[in-house]
Amino acid sequence: MPRRTRPRGQTGHRRQRHKDVLHAGDGHRANGFRCVGCRLDVPPDAPGTAHRNHCPNCLTSRHVDRRIPGDRDTDCRGRMEAVAVSTRPDGEWMIVHQCLHCGELSTNRIAGDDNAIALMRLALKPLQDTNRASRTLLNL
Amino acid sequence: MSNTDNTLKTSIFTCAWCGLTTTKYIAEGAVRNHCPSCMHSKHVTDHVEGGSSTCEGRMSPIAIAVLRTGDWMLIHRCRRCDELTSNPVCADDNQLILMRMAVRPLAQPPFPLETLGSL
Repeated sequence: MPRRTRPRGQTGHRRQRHKDVLHAGDGHRANGFRCVGCRLDVPPDAPGTAHRNHCPNCLTSRHVDRRIPGDRDTDCRGRMEAVAVSTRPDGEWMIVHQCLHCGELSTNRIAGDDNAIALMRLALKPLQDTNRASRTLLNL
Repeated sequence: MSNTDNTLKTSIFTCAWCGLTTTKYIAEGAVRNHCPSCMHSKHVTDHVEGGSSTCEGRMSPIAIAVLRTGDWMLIHRCRRCDELTSNPVCADDNQLILMRMAVRPLAQPPFPLETLGSL
């Protein structure tokens, strides 16, 4: 679904950092992967994003990149769990993953076929504990 | 957090973003690493290699993660090198910014919320 809420005439928008490691030869788009969380076979191409790195069903990812997204340079290979939803200034949702093995964090844009219920559950997580949320509201 | 010579003696730091001067240690004895007013931090630890980082960029808060225990963690992203860190929320942090970050994704959902009921 095209986004219609993007602020118009937004200047000073920060560009993504340059990544020369992607799309070279038989890069990451050549083959799909099997989710380490729910064993779903995930096809490589996703609607709305060129950098799918998580399962559209359970949002689980795998720790393969070290410092730059796409470098495939780490030996960890741990399972990465979605821990939070972050919002870009233009309203795009990003999933924050944390590696269960080494604790490393990474972000990725959501894809068009990501499970809407899993996304919503993740976004509502901070408000799930009503004690914590209402205490925060009362302290305002 | 600017590290001047008297930082260790007086245990205070000045926020690099809003300029607030605040104590380094909070009541429970934990060390504060972000400004309680604007929640910004400074990139001093390298989490990929370990050890201290030479970046020293400004880190802005981007999301709130919830631990299994129910505690909130604040996720920072370095504006200079894009590294991410997570830190526990302190008791005297700015609750308005915390709440704003918690509900921010719901203000701009990527799919129409009306259809969620039929899923």
